[in-house]
Amino acid sequence: MIYVGMDAGSRWLKIVLWDGGKRRQIAAGLAEQGTDCQAVAAGLLRKLLRAHRFHECDIGRVVATGYGRNLIRMADTTITEITCHARGVNRLAPAARTVVEIGGQDSKLLRLEPDGRVRDFAMNDRCAAGTGRFLEVVAGRLKISVKKLGSLVHRGIKPAPISSMCIVFAETEILGLLAGGVPPANIVAGVQQSIAVRVAGMTGSILEQPVVFTGGVALVSGMKEALAKVLKCPVSVAPQPQFTGALGAALLAADSPTERNDSGTGALRKI
Amino acid sequence: MKKTPFISPLAWFEEMIDHCYDYAETAHVKGAPIVGIMCEYTPREIIMAAGGIPVCLCGGSAQRISSAEKHLPANLCPLIKSTFGYHLEKANPFLEWADLLVAETTCDGKKKMYELLAETRPMHVLELPQKVDDPDAFEHWVCELRKLRDFLEKRYRTRVTAARLRRAIATMNRERRLRRELAALLQADAPPLTGRQLLDLKSIISGIPADLEQYGMILKWLRSRPESPALRSRVRVLLTGVPVVHGAERVVDLIEKHGGLVVAMENCTGLRPLVDDVDPRASDPLRALAQKYFHLPCSVMTPNRRRLDLIRRLAADYRADCVVDLIWQACLTYDVESARVKRLAEEELKLPFLRIETDYSPSDSARLVVRLEALFETIRRSRR
Repeated sequence: MIYVGMDAGSRWLKIVLWDGGKRRQIAAGLAEQGTDCQAVAAGLLRKLLRAHRFHECDIGRVVATGYGRNLIRMADTTITEITCHARGVNRLAPAARTVVEIGGQDSKLLRLEPDGRVRDFAMNDRCAAGTGRFLEVVAGRLKISVKKLGSLVHRGIKPAPISSMCIVFAETEILGLLAGGVPPANIVAGVQQSIAVRVAGMTGSILEQPVVFTGGVALVSGMKEALAKVLKCPVSVAPQPQFTGALGAALLAADSPTERNDSGTGALRKI
Repeated sequence: MKKTPFISPLAWFEEMIDHCYDYAETAHVKGAPIVGIMCEYTPREIIMAAGGIPVCLCGGSAQRISSAEKHLPANLCPLIKSTFGYHLEKANPFLEWADLLVAETTCDGKKKMYELLAETRPMHVLELPQKVDDPDAFEHWVCELRKLRDFLEKRYRTRVTAARLRRAIATMNRERRLRRELAALLQADAPPLTGRQLLDLKSIISGIPADLEQYGMILKWLRSRPESPALRSRVRVLLTGVPVVHGAERVVDLIEKHGGLVVAMENCTGLRPLVDDVDPRASDPLRALAQKYFHLPCSVMTPNRRRLDLIRRLAADYRADCVVDLIWQACLTYDVESARVKRLAEEELKLPFLRIETDYSPSDSARLVVRLEALFETIRRSRR
């Protein structure tokens, strides 16, 4: 039996296929979100199944998570990103006690029990300032790709102060900095620091280590260092950080094949 | 009477506003003054004993906020803005009928908003002292209630006698007892009603005889109902914090639609004003009223140990699985006090704690759902 974890994020949809018998990951894939989350999910799942010579009937259970989790009709159940990321990170880094997850519109901080269960969590509310969206806006303004943003930042660069609490105003602030002759590298470093400060604000009084950094933004070079500097402790990036949510969902699908939050549609699954 | 198909006794309160409208209109036509109140600290009994009809005017509508923001800061409590929006738009018939508003100095936002209301509407302000353990502060509150009594006597050319106060106290005690007993039904493993249904079982006008009769009937009916097994598996939530006024029940709805059951509400629209009665035999009924109302544990009080005590008691009596602290945006006193509630929940009661700061707009509902579902998942997983 294979188990499917789907993480329908705000920018990307991620799928992990998990082999329940051999207890290993079969495949991971991602697709950019469009207007029809269900269609994106079905297309990506079909592609992954075909590439690894599986069929729909091999699927034991599908768990959906992420922002668009309720839009995926083929899911047997939905589980929040909080529980899924905790489960995924626990598999990849069982010692982790703190998880920082920064995605397209989200930033979260999870505190885990020694056994990997969620103790508590914090997440951004009505504002996307400390998230990947911030980096996208900056990259767009500097006319470079998000992935290349970090390559601008070298050791010893002084981060430009970005004080705006709002992405839209931060963009104006960045324009002002550019006009004032501040080099783009300092601006990128400043933005990364500002995201790290936002996330660090969620930690409360105690930060238990090890700290694992996950979510798509963990792939942007320089972010890990910015976070470590602000948190004043070592930070490691989870392997395949953009897939921890989907991996966690697949593992949870395999963990308890009977648990259901809402009316399962697994029997009527049509990809 | 002709035979009608079965109607749930709960249906009476679904038309609460209509009933209050009819009641207030009748009273208004007869010449009884409608007196608007905006806080649980204002003793309804004194107004009732002066022949007035106290009506709660707290705004719960998101629609009234944009007009209020033309005059008030955007970053202000939605309850204050909504109440003020009704005033500007003249959209609350009860406010328009009101002959007088009795306000109080609870939080700064309300206090300053009342000044704007008072520009065009008659108002009497009670000064609420906030050092709750200080005997001088209490005496000051007694003094404030005496001034209110004298003011009402003069305005309505009547006498607020001890006998009339005691009658009003008896009515309010009866209402409090009935609502307490309804709330206590949620102590059951599988209660016969949800927290959201309980929230509807209150009225913006207290002491309406028909309401009191309905409370009795609903209690009897609910006690005879079989348990609701579906509610047994829900995560039991103790909701604390700001009032959830009529129209602003979104967070309670979100909790109960996503796996939770609000078993107890430690707030001004829940159990907080109901747990203590007024001594009906006190020789000085005004002092007895001061005693009850001064000790309501709102976050404006300092220190506010009574709120923590009440949370302790309710968490035990209602066997809460978690504590959710609801804070209306920019409500400073609840926001700051949240740190103490969090400590109480997590360190002493060993209950997961979630702080929700929001306003009346549904823009963050999807994000709140993630946090609530994650909380419930965490609780369910730790039970295994």
